[in-house]
Amino acid sequence: MSDKAITYEDLSVGYKFPPAIYELSASLVSKYLKAVDSAGDGFVPPLAITACAIAAMTGSFSLPSGTIAIHASQELEFFKPVPIGATIECHIRVAQKIARGKMGMLILEIEVFDKGKEKVQSGRATIALPT
Amino acid sequence: MLTEIQEGKALNPVVKHITQEKINLYAEASGDFNPIHVDESFAAKTPLGGTIAHGMLNLAYVSEIMTSAFGQGWSSEGKLRAKFKEPARPGDTLTINGKIGCVEQKDDVSYANCSFECRNQKGETIVTAEAIVKFESDKK
Repeated sequence: MSDKAITYEDLSVGYKFPPAIYELSASLVSKYLKAVDSAGDGFVPPLAITACAIAAMTGSFSLPSGTIAIHASQELEFFKPVPIGATIECHIRVAQKIARGKMGMLILEIEVFDKGKEKVQSGRATIALPT
Repeated sequence: MLTEIQEGKALNPVVKHITQEKINLYAEASGDFNPIHVDESFAAKTPLGGTIAHGMLNLAYVSEIMTSAFGQGWSSEGKLRAKFKEPARPGDTLTINGKIGCVEQKDDVSYANCSFECRNQKGETIVTAEAIVKFESDKK
């Protein structure tokens, strides 16, 4: 993840956020399952992986003070189960940037790969935020 | 897992209580510490008037239902499309209902199209979602 946060104005279509690498340890998965109040199925819940990918983006993105970004919609496709303890690499790219008055919409493409560079999931997130 | 996959069949609903403790845990697990979720004094000054759950936390309940119904088929070949309509807040009780809308057969492969609604205790829609999953069919 980048040390320097990027602002909405700095983002352009095609911008790639710095890739983020996560080890999906048993303790992380356990914490996630406790948060979502679920027993799990012995694999990493697919949405836990998406959550890490989105956090990687929000962690390197800066909003004007006192404002908030809203996650408006999410599309996902899953390609393979991910075992607990696996390492994943998350890539996020700006697919579209839409201005609507004082609000902006960012459409982000998400791709997540495992250590063997096989894709485990992909998707699109729509984020509404003040411009 | 479901033993019979039929159009119109309701999936087992889940009921979840949202607490600030769960939101904080979710922030720790995901690494998403956006103050609208975890900073009560910051959130109180925003138009939302208080902290809200991460949208992906609410959506996790849909994924839980799909995993229960379709097992690893969900994480290996599932598709999900969701809209976050309203925020869920600490103290809310969410009920997530889903059903199999239609079953399609393409080249000897079966797909179940499922629809979901997540509502709070006031009946407000928090999330709507559609999911598609491939499954083993006896039909040949």
